[in-house]
Amino acid sequence: MYKKQAVKDYGREISIFYVRAVVALVIVVALLLVLLFRQFKLQILNYEAYQTQSENNRIRIRPVAPIRGLIFDRNGILLAENRSIFALEITPEIVGKKNMDETLTRLSELLDIDDKQLSDFKEQIKFRSKYKSYPIKSKLTEDQVAIFSVNRHLFRGVTVEARLERYYPHGEDVVHAIGRMSAINKADIEKMEQEAKVTQDFSKLKNYAATNKMGKLGLEKYYEEILHGFVGQEKVETDVRGRVVKVLERQDPVAGQNLYLHLDYALQKRANQLLKEAGARGAVVAVNPVNGGVLALVSQPSYDPNLFTGGISQANFSALINSEERPLYNRAVQGTYPPASTIKPHLAWLGLQQGVIDERTRIADPGWFSLPNNKHRYRDWKPWGHGATMRVVDSIIESCDTFFYDLSVRLGINRIHEGMQQFGFGQKTGLDIVEEKQGIMPSRSWKKANRNEPWYTGDTVNIGIGQGFWTATPLQLANSSAVFANDGIRFDLQLVKEFQNEDRKTSNTPVMSAEQIVTGDGTWLDTIKEAMRLSTLPPLGTAKTAFDGANFSAAGKTGTAQVKSIAQDETYDEENIEDKFKDNALFIGYAPYENPQIAIAVVMENAGGGGGNAAPIARQLMEFYLQNNDLLPKAIAISESSAKQQASLD
Amino acid sequence: MLKSFNQNAVSNTHKAKSSILWRLHLDAPLLLGLILLMMFGLLVIYSAGGESIDLIKRQVVRLGFGMAVMLVIAQIPPRILKMWAPVLYVGAIGFLLAVLLFGESSKGAQRWINVGIRFQPSEMMKIAMPMMVAWYFAEKALPPSFKHLIVGLTLVMVPTIMIMMQPDLGTSLLIASSGFFIIFFAGIRWRYLLSAAFAGLVMVPIMWFFVMHEYQKGRVLTFLNPERDPLGAGYHIIQSQIAIGSGGVSGKGWLKGTQSQLEFLPERHTDFIFAVLGEEFGLIGVAVLLALYLFIIVRGLQISLQAQDTFSRLLGAAITLTFFVYLFVNIGMVSGLLPVVGLPLPLVSYGGTSMVTLLAGFGILMSIKTHRRLHSR
Repeated sequence: MYKKQAVKDYGREISIFYVRAVVALVIVVALLLVLLFRQFKLQILNYEAYQTQSENNRIRIRPVAPIRGLIFDRNGILLAENRSIFALEITPEIVGKKNMDETLTRLSELLDIDDKQLSDFKEQIKFRSKYKSYPIKSKLTEDQVAIFSVNRHLFRGVTVEARLERYYPHGEDVVHAIGRMSAINKADIEKMEQEAKVTQDFSKLKNYAATNKMGKLGLEKYYEEILHGFVGQEKVETDVRGRVVKVLERQDPVAGQNLYLHLDYALQKRANQLLKEAGARGAVVAVNPVNGGVLALVSQPSYDPNLFTGGISQANFSALINSEERPLYNRAVQGTYPPASTIKPHLAWLGLQQGVIDERTRIADPGWFSLPNNKHRYRDWKPWGHGATMRVVDSIIESCDTFFYDLSVRLGINRIHEGMQQFGFGQKTGLDIVEEKQGIMPSRSWKKANRNEPWYTGDTVNIGIGQGFWTATPLQLANSSAVFANDGIRFDLQLVKEFQNEDRKTSNTPVMSAEQIVTGDGTWLDTIKEAMRLSTLPPLGTAKTAFDGANFSAAGKTGTAQVKSIAQDETYDEENIEDKFKDNALFIGYAPYENPQIAIAVVMENAGGGGGNAAPIARQLMEFYLQNNDLLPKAIAISESSAKQQASLD
Repeated sequence: MLKSFNQNAVSNTHKAKSSILWRLHLDAPLLLGLILLMMFGLLVIYSAGGESIDLIKRQVVRLGFGMAVMLVIAQIPPRILKMWAPVLYVGAIGFLLAVLLFGESSKGAQRWINVGIRFQPSEMMKIAMPMMVAWYFAEKALPPSFKHLIVGLTLVMVPTIMIMMQPDLGTSLLIASSGFFIIFFAGIRWRYLLSAAFAGLVMVPIMWFFVMHEYQKGRVLTFLNPERDPLGAGYHIIQSQIAIGSGGVSGKGWLKGTQSQLEFLPERHTDFIFAVLGEEFGLIGVAVLLALYLFIIVRGLQISLQAQDTFSRLLGAAITLTFFVYLFVNIGMVSGLLPVVGLPLPLVSYGGTSMVTLLAGFGILMSIKTHRRLHSR
């Protein structure tokens, strides 16, 4: 049996092989069918699921940032534009948490990125979507772009992007009016989230999906929504590294609206220049009395807002923040100064209107004022006094303190508080700048609330010359002078004149609101205005030197505010006093007297007397503005030309 | 009489159509199937490789080299092949030993030795092993006795274990299966087969705990649940299934597969090329590919059936079925039926060594087919 098996049986062998080959083939076919069925399941039964996954793999919806609106002055001079720059941007998702620090270190070695820029970037990405790209360094030079391009392969998730970035061609001159922009930070996001939660309206958050910067100050902040525009969308195909291969669909963003301002850039520039030449810290505000439009809003010293736009460097930032001159401080809208004698016309008008004095009321001025039963002498600026027969008009022209000490006591704080509010003191002017301060127009209740003390009559005496607790912003002062220019109508101040709509063809204007002050008998206002006009004229006007030889007529009032209180037995010695205790120089006024076109306030810190320092600047600006805009009174021009004709005839 | 029969067979089957091919010892249908497959492969490689002409050139050079090897081997009559089988086998064992002792590492596995050129002895074993086992059973009475079976199994297991130790699980399983195919076709009794299958089941836990490496276990676990590691090991499987599934019936079109063109699919021109094909040509493309494979397999079995000696018959059938295992494992892995094993899609994937080995195998089939008339028992 064993032997028989051991012999080779070819026939059996072949038949076994044949059977096995058939079995093998059957198994092969069966397994191929298994494979085919597997593909059938993937490609037919689950097709839609896989199709979706494949689309999700490759297609990304990307927000597209809108172009920010431009800002022009009243004559169409561009004050804020968008420039294309190269920005170095990082997409946190692609870099990955683990590699981020290392990537940043290598990048900063390659492209000179300082610690503040690094920490600002880290702060920025902490709370925002990690699928977006964020700038770490903007405004790359061509060399830097080239250096990065060569090393690009070493930096996954880091790209150089062409972006539009805010640029202020006249940055230093206009920053305090226009404001500035910088990166959206944690607080901004939290604020938007908070708002969205309250209103249940998340469209604003979505609208900023592609935006990295926003207005932080001034108009840029106030009109952020209008300037920003509406985000667009792009459907893009990306490869596995997130690089965009092509754009499939695009819904264009809507550009922000352009702003046209009342601001006159030429005047603005001149005002900056004059303050700088005078070497003074201070502010100038010029207003169009006819409509409340702000013609100039200047604060010196100033700074370049362009430094902030692309992320400010550590060195620049500490230089600005540590400067004793405080360039970041907007004196025009945030500076609250004692208005000093500049508010004498206002008080005088109130006295007349309330009937506590009339035009013939006279007082004697020995050089000081004192309250009954009190030895304290409130000194006049003129140590020997203005004489025995000071009436209200004379007291404005010569700025007699004693008259107003007396007047304020006659009026009492309650009436002053109410009356001065009509000129806008103690409240915001309505200017389209968020940072505006309202100053202090004190009252009994104010003092109780803030000092926890009763109001003394002595407090009222100080109020009479615009000192004591009374503080006002240059903005308020300018607007209060516009009230006289405008015969008692007070406008809310406004920087923006016009919005140019998205279509770039039509425009709309913001509503300007105005209020008529309680004038009673109208002639009292004229009396005061006349007194203000005479203040700029010889023989006695406090601003007569400043307005000497002007070819237009103006009205105004000087002010000189004590910064340091002078003891009873001391005298103010301008020569020997420390700079920071020098008087603040102030001036308010308008011109031309007959047909007012510009109302102005000048405040100069520690510059000395208002007549000698502030009034000349106001005069030059009035002249500059009237001349530039061809607003000089025709009568004078004609008389001059007729005089010339006369001369030639002779 | 025999001679004239052979001549008749020759004239009936081939002479009229392809006398040149016959003289070159090539089998026309098999050659046609192989060429169609390669062309299909080139088409997909062009798309998967980012339309790189360079890649195509290199692949064409490789294919040309493989075809040359096939042509050369086709000229060698089976009896000469049989004569050399033991030498080849012992040589391959020697090389494998050398690899284990002082081979070069690449990707954590020792698979290469350098003898003037760098090559993988395991590739050589893919041919040598079935030849050796076929050689062994050729002279034995079949179906084999238990004793012969044990010897045959030993011939299979020794190189298999050596390759497993490199470690290269995919190749060792492939080589083992080619040896088992010989034993299967030699006529191993069904009850032995069943008990072996049972033993295999018992072996599974033993393999898991004592033989398999961590990375291999990981692959199996990931295969069972790709979401376990969606960005790591599971990524390949997930992305390739997305690619295939999103192809649908007719595919996204040549060069238009987003999964592959946008590089979501890894190893798309090598091991995962089937996913590119599925994505761009859809179910229709897949069916065509499987049909081509089936055609080649049927032809291979047919040639083996017609073989005139035991050695050729066993060897031919084993080569054909090993080819099937290749494609089945690859497609099964890429479409998520089997765990990830590093095997290319035969004759389609971009890559060198294994293709040359495969074409050498087909050279043997060609030889078997075309040397019949010279054969004498």
